[in-house]
Amino acid sequence: MRVTQGTFSFLPDLTDDQIRRQVQYALDKGWALGIEHTDDPHPRNTYWEMWGQPMFDLRDAAGVMSELRSCREAHPGHYIRINAFDSERGFETVRLSFIVQRPAEEPGFRLERTEDRGRMIRYRLHPYATDKPSGSRYGK
Amino acid sequence: MLDTVKINSPPTEGQQTPATVDLRALYAETQIEALLTELDEELIGLAPVKRRIREIASFLLVARARERLGFSSAPPTLHMAFTGNPGTGKTTVALRMASILHRLGYSRRGHLVSVTRDDLVGQYIGHTAPKTKEVLKRAMGGVLFIDEAYYLYRPENEKDYGQEAIEILLQVMETQREDLTVILAGYTDRMNTFFHSNPGFRSRIAHHIDFPDYTDEELLAITEKLARDAEYRLSESAREALREYIVLRRQQPNFANARSLRNAFDRARLRQAMRLFQLDGEVDATKLMTLEDSDIRASRVFAEPRSDDDATRLN
Amino acid sequence: MNDVSKVVRGPGRSRYTPGVIPYAKMGYWDADYVPKDTDILAVFRITPQEGVDPIEAAAAVAGESSTATWTVVWTDRLTACDAYRARAYKLERVPGSADQYFAYVAYDLALFEAGSIANLTASIIGNVFGFKPVKALRLEDMRLPVPYVKTFQGPATGIVVERERLDKFGRPLLGATVKPKLGLSGKNYGRVVFEALKGGLDFVKDDENINSQPFMHWRDRFLYTMEAVNSASAHTGEVKGHYLNVTAATMEDMYERAEFARDLGSVIVMIDLVIGYTAIQSMAKWARANDMILHLHRAGHSTYTRQKNHGISFRVIAKWMRLAGVDHIHAGTVVGKLEGDPAIVAGIYDSLREPSSPANLQRGLFFEQDWASLRKVMPVASGGIHAGQMHQLLTYLGEDVVLQFGGGTIGHPMGIQAGATANRVALEAMVLARNEGRDIWNEGPEILAAAARHCQPLRAALDTWKDVTYQYASTDTVDFVNTATAT
Repeated sequence: MRVTQGTFSFLPDLTDDQIRRQVQYALDKGWALGIEHTDDPHPRNTYWEMWGQPMFDLRDAAGVMSELRSCREAHPGHYIRINAFDSERGFETVRLSFIVQRPAEEPGFRLERTEDRGRMIRYRLHPYATDKPSGSRYGK
Repeated sequence: MLDTVKINSPPTEGQQTPATVDLRALYAETQIEALLTELDEELIGLAPVKRRIREIASFLLVARARERLGFSSAPPTLHMAFTGNPGTGKTTVALRMASILHRLGYSRRGHLVSVTRDDLVGQYIGHTAPKTKEVLKRAMGGVLFIDEAYYLYRPENEKDYGQEAIEILLQVMETQREDLTVILAGYTDRMNTFFHSNPGFRSRIAHHIDFPDYTDEELLAITEKLARDAEYRLSESAREALREYIVLRRQQPNFANARSLRNAFDRARLRQAMRLFQLDGEVDATKLMTLEDSDIRASRVFAEPRSDDDATRLN
Repeated sequence: MNDVSKVVRGPGRSRYTPGVIPYAKMGYWDADYVPKDTDILAVFRITPQEGVDPIEAAAAVAGESSTATWTVVWTDRLTACDAYRARAYKLERVPGSADQYFAYVAYDLALFEAGSIANLTASIIGNVFGFKPVKALRLEDMRLPVPYVKTFQGPATGIVVERERLDKFGRPLLGATVKPKLGLSGKNYGRVVFEALKGGLDFVKDDENINSQPFMHWRDRFLYTMEAVNSASAHTGEVKGHYLNVTAATMEDMYERAEFARDLGSVIVMIDLVIGYTAIQSMAKWARANDMILHLHRAGHSTYTRQKNHGISFRVIAKWMRLAGVDHIHAGTVVGKLEGDPAIVAGIYDSLREPSSPANLQRGLFFEQDWASLRKVMPVASGGIHAGQMHQLLTYLGEDVVLQFGGGTIGHPMGIQAGATANRVALEAMVLARNEGRDIWNEGPEILAAAARHCQPLRAALDTWKDVTYQYASTDTVDFVNTATAT
């Protein structure tokens, strides 16, 4: 399967040039850029590991791209996403978030159903990746 | 416009390599002339500096032309050293240089990030690399100006974290030349020592510009321009006082060329305000604009010579 | 009738002499009045009956929407009645119209109960719309002062938190309404939901009149739909949602349904505008207390918002709904099959999404409005739109909007999943291109064609709907045109 979180997951994986242009767009808006990675793609896994602090006051995408390169080298089998934070009043939240690396194999999720009173069902989403301990998922 | 090519993008695939490049047209296209003229007009003196900048601009323009005609040389190294005494216009020229590189397509954003040792070097282990990288990331796409760069290198202390910053800088200066231009600046003699001990820097610096001290006449002209820009004028006697001031001030400690004169002008304005206030009557536009010789001569520079302790207060 | 000129002899006691006097003379018209920052302001479009002085008509509207009655009552004198009187303070002829006027009316804050849309509307539109001396009357806009705004909860979730909960940023959200509206069994209905969500939509939606009918009782729908939602989430790794319509006959029924939706793990429930302002406020409160997004379908609004001379402008309804506390509201599409002049829609979107908005007559906004940090409402665009219009939708409506492609998803020749995928790919490709600095307004079709090269469903969608547009003049349009900058 393909995890389709993030702004551009239905497009073919972005090339570095395409990533650079999105990063530049965010920088031109005055947003801060953060790089995050995880080996647990559960949709409610909100806090991925931060690759350093969000980067403030950058003018050019080159700085973000070099951090992305380092992150990829350190975590070749992880999901990596780039987040853009807007501090403007009324937003003060992420304005753009897209996946820039994903593992070669994405095993996906098991939907666990627990029958309850009447026809009621309680649902639980279980990422197959988390069957293995953290750090040994997706090979590395 | 003839067979000129867009400066900021290499020729697209399949496009015929042109047989000639019109340098004039290329020059016009970059609108660099306006910048150079502005530099000539707004910066007083600095003739050798201006000449060097024109040389560099021409060199980069020709490099562009060579690229158009299919020469496959590596992108030119652009890192520079600006040497000279304080107040000789290094930061100002660095700012202009950033714009020039931007117009010529050698700097994507054209901004200048100005730092000193404290912005790059940390206080404890593991602090320096993130600090230096942070600065480098902010400067990417533009120009990184490191003032008094020799403070990065402290041979007397083996464990100085400055060395770590130097190594990161050197690596980026080599591998990300297209992303960043570094300008190292400082006193001429100390920079020479620095380059001598750090050959890695010397070999990566393509252009060296020396900033001479301003002459007395130039400093007078600079001050008068400052005044004009702020809508002030010097009376005839004030101008004479200023002439004397410059001669005296140059002999005293911590003289910083144009910067010292900017301070002198600011102090003179304060004195003028006090003088007008004490007149306690009506003032007209002329009075409000004019600096008199008393506004200049009240400076301590005209007092008896003093010990170095007071030097910082000299203006 | 009394001879008015004889009755009005001046201020003081005589003002309260029994009889009928003009509203203007009763104090409901005051051209010198400077509205206070705390006043609620309203602007009405008045069409007076023939022979009725427009100033008198404006005063009558102010009077009938505040303290007045048709005759003088001595009991007024037991109150600080001068303070309670609404005042018409400005009157201007509608540009290009012979018999219509904009009347500006100011209301003292003391006239209203805190945090109650029912009370606000009972005053402002309670009696006055049937008043005989005006042939037609339309409430065009309102300015809600900050102290009043602060008495409302506002959107239960709001745009920012909705996006954070859904983990979806940087693009409009995508939805679709299950079709056919009526007749599907719960199990078949859930199939449509599953296909559309798995294919790439973020939300699927019940239609306004899907409640609990013989062909599908509400619990069936909720159970099958949530199976579809959770299953689609497992297939994609995304948070998905279905607007479960909890509209019902009584509040008790609505709470029961909403609680069941919550227990099944739904992130969103839906209500119809026809349940009434009080019920909407109750549901907004419930949604805030239960971490639920609240979607409002504006069922029925066109009966009073569409005609220009009578009723209520939808921008006023939108403002009331932001106060009342809904998170989603259908607010016009510009390019679809339903009414929506671009300038009018832009003004409504501003009222829903901006922290504050300046007066902008070209967008139909008569007043500056400060929302005092009240959360933002996500507008929903739906009705007759398809993937081929993505560049227009993104340009007109921006990023914080739900685009709902009902027919444009379910009617796809390759199936519902393909329809959903076509929309999602078209959207992501368009956002990508816009961010790269491309001129999507002009290059839109080109961008879509390029995206379709790696997406067969999009190719099919573009071929199927390439010529579908709805070119009818809007009935609700702006009255002020900025000729200097109009393009």
